[in-house]
Amino acid sequence: MHTSDMNTHFDPFVIPFTLGVIYLFAVVVWRYVKWFAELPEADRRAFRHALFTVRSLKAVREVVEEALLHKSILRVNPLLWYMHLSFALGWFLLIVIGKFETSAYLKEAFNPPHVHVFFRYFYPEEPFRFHRGFNYAFLMDAVLLFILSGVALAWFKRLRASWLGMKKTTKHTRGDRMALAALWVVFPARLLAESATCGIHQTGDFLTHSTGMALAGMVGPDALRMMELPAWWIYSLALGMFFVAMPYSRYMHIFTEVPHIFLRHYGIRGGDKPGSADNFQIQACSRCGVCIDPCQLQSAAAMNDVQSVYFLRDRRYGLLTDPVADNCLMCGRCETRCPVHIDLNRLRLNSRTARAEKAVPLTDDRYAYLRGEDRSEGTGKVGYFAGCMTLLSAPVMTAMQRIFDAAGEEVWWADKAGGVCCGRPLKLSGETDAARRLMDYNKALFEKHGITTLVTSCPICLKVFREDYHLEGIEVIHHSQYFLRLLEAGRLKLKASGATLTYHDPCELGRGLGIYDEPRAVLARLGTLAEPKQTKKHALCCGGSVANFVLNSQQENRIATDAAAVYAATGAETLVTACPQCKSTFRRNSALPVSDLAEAVAAALEVPASAHRIPAAAGRTAAPAAS
Amino acid sequence: MENTIAIIGGGVAGMQAALTLKELGMRPVILEREERLGGKLNTWDRLFPTWTPAREVLDPLLEAVRGAGIEVRLGAAVEGVSPDGRGVTLAGGERLAAEAVVVASGFDLFDARLKEEYGYGIYDNVITSADLETMFREKRVLTADGRVPRRVAILHCVGSRDEKVKQNHCSRVCCITGVKQAMEIRELYPECEVFNFYMDMRMFGPGYEEIYRQSQEEYKVVHIRGRISEVSPTLDGRLQMKTEDTLIGRPMKMEADMLVLLVGMCPARSNRSLAVSGNLSLGDSGFFAAADAFRGNTRCGENGRIFFAGTATAPKNVGESLNEGTAAAWQAYRSVKGGASW
Repeated sequence: MHTSDMNTHFDPFVIPFTLGVIYLFAVVVWRYVKWFAELPEADRRAFRHALFTVRSLKAVREVVEEALLHKSILRVNPLLWYMHLSFALGWFLLIVIGKFETSAYLKEAFNPPHVHVFFRYFYPEEPFRFHRGFNYAFLMDAVLLFILSGVALAWFKRLRASWLGMKKTTKHTRGDRMALAALWVVFPARLLAESATCGIHQTGDFLTHSTGMALAGMVGPDALRMMELPAWWIYSLALGMFFVAMPYSRYMHIFTEVPHIFLRHYGIRGGDKPGSADNFQIQACSRCGVCIDPCQLQSAAAMNDVQSVYFLRDRRYGLLTDPVADNCLMCGRCETRCPVHIDLNRLRLNSRTARAEKAVPLTDDRYAYLRGEDRSEGTGKVGYFAGCMTLLSAPVMTAMQRIFDAAGEEVWWADKAGGVCCGRPLKLSGETDAARRLMDYNKALFEKHGITTLVTSCPICLKVFREDYHLEGIEVIHHSQYFLRLLEAGRLKLKASGATLTYHDPCELGRGLGIYDEPRAVLARLGTLAEPKQTKKHALCCGGSVANFVLNSQQENRIATDAAAVYAATGAETLVTACPQCKSTFRRNSALPVSDLAEAVAAALEVPASAHRIPAAAGRTAAPAAS
Repeated sequence: MENTIAIIGGGVAGMQAALTLKELGMRPVILEREERLGGKLNTWDRLFPTWTPAREVLDPLLEAVRGAGIEVRLGAAVEGVSPDGRGVTLAGGERLAAEAVVVASGFDLFDARLKEEYGYGIYDNVITSADLETMFREKRVLTADGRVPRRVAILHCVGSRDEKVKQNHCSRVCCITGVKQAMEIRELYPECEVFNFYMDMRMFGPGYEEIYRQSQEEYKVVHIRGRISEVSPTLDGRLQMKTEDTLIGRPMKMEADMLVLLVGMCPARSNRSLAVSGNLSLGDSGFFAAADAFRGNTRCGENGRIFFAGTATAPKNVGESLNEGTAAAWQAYRSVKGGASW
């Protein structure tokens, strides 16, 4: 038993730690209660309903797997994973085992947190005096060593991010630097303090005993006695400082990841406009920086302050500026890698709404000219919506016509003579309410003409049709899916050219809607498919995204040239894509010829289009094959 | 061989440079990628601002080159140039030693298919200004199904001043070409209406502005400030164009029998390999960057032996290209024979 008060386990050096803990928990609890209370009623109801379901168990499992074990980072980079694991799991174990050790030794279930944190100071003799079948001291030493190895890696990462497999590491805020400085001191300070105590009392296990004896040998018993208390003070001060800085630093994610995981499992994700649910997501970001490397704005256009990690940081501290909010391709490459599954695209998008609505007020007469407008042509159960970018690509329009003719499909052409925008570009600019008016117009148009299937060549349109239109009784499909159906039904016959083709996954089609296989299945009937190095959910963005309002043409071209080189490296003869915007961007930046899937299919049609071009009603049935 | 000067390109600038060098007692060798001399001038019909047949400019040059006994190698594409100007490498690997090099490699026409919204190569009656020159030469300006057009639209700046196709520069000569072609159509078919759609009219040369005025007052060509945004075919085989008349601020649609795309000048595809091999700089536009814009616009650097003539450095008209041929020849001569640059 140490000389300090044995009943209350008190020494003045515990005060900084204790104050820090109280402050931290007060802030965290206050924030969570406030955010939860500010959730829409529907979300709170959903929360109550989901609480006692299997979803909670799944959430608990993910908390263990992600918050403690960081499994997602393991997939990205094992060394980085070890660093995070040592902090998260190590600290967690230090608290849990420390608590058991203390309770077992004191034979009481509850005691203030500082008792187990500073246990070695109050009970330096414990390892020898305490007879038990369980060697806590060994475990505590092992865990401390585990954490210290992580600290060493963290120091190392600051020096050379690339050695931990990251090309770029995150830049910090002031709160981060305070917390980080404290965090770096905490565990070495604990080692020093425990070593001093163990050195004086000749106790401790493999780590603290060895370092304690070494220390005693180095400075002598008197000096060791003199430095013991200051060492514990440093440890306590570092902890206190860390806890106070924590709510204002990236380390807030340590706690917030837990409610974030639960809310995600309950389907509470926030929406098109900023809301309270966003707080949990924004603060769940650990600023690990995994989102930086996949960002092509960084790799191809040398922009280093707009990535999701910085966007979230700025938004968290109310420092978000338009150039950051607007400078994103919304390609989703970072989102697929985010270990915490933050809805990075949605958050970026809804951060644009407040400003956009202020900038362009939505007056009653805006789009009034659309009332009663109907420029569609033809009749049929299948509707075709080209979208504005497809309308600008005459070869795709011609190809679609030929394919419809070859399949004998009767088509209602929604916008051949000019239509109304699908609304997605407006939505991407933050004008969600204005976009809604265009959506309502198109929705009414589709419903009026009684179509059951709506085909579009544009993944941008497709995404908004599927996610925001809520079309009852109308199935919306991409032209790649439509082609595959025609092929499978034997309504189209293609002649394989045997050429080697490579395929670019448009962001909105692939990561946006999960359509990866159908375009490939169609291409497989045309030639040999050569996959690029980055493909499917890791596919590169063409750079021509309609979601970015900052890039100039040169910067777009740089991104596109970079990406085009990856496709050229496959050795393919043609780059095929399935989005008019990607095609247009690549065409001016690709060494390979670029075509849309529709063009590739139309070019391979076995039967001349005119053979099928006879609408039954026209009565021109004579010998079509002769043409 | 002593006094050999390699001239890359046998268009007007290259031929003029060769003639000047020959007169100065040097041994110019013209290396022409195509199977005949004359470059783009071979394909033009009549030249602005005087309606002079292109042949009247080209034939005397060809005659002079032949008469002077200048060595010409046809079908000789140059792939590389030595940074010190002491020779070039031809396709196939053959090296030609020289004492200086004149780069007169010209320009490429913009590939109008890159502007898909205009449907070139898809819709029959969308043609380029170069196609129209060919039609003029053949004296047959007709639609694809052989009809005389009743209305022709001419669209300026296709592949010029257009970031979307990486052509930020102005090609300069298309404005006056568009006015010339509009007037020629009106001459050919007085009943045919002609509309020119432009962003700006840049009438930079002597007499150009006067012709522009004449086109409106005498030839009744209608000039509309607005770029055509998209073109689609109509059921009766015509073309429908969407645009905006930006002077009155209203969107408009127009049908026409024929659309002529005034294609701009692009840096030649060979510029990149020549620049890399010869350590020459390219400007942002992709044309060669000369030493400076005033006293050094035919030189590559202070003491280099590589010189530029004609549209290798920027869009130019025929007269300007000819002058640069002479200027580059003199610079090349002085670099070999000694004497500081002027």
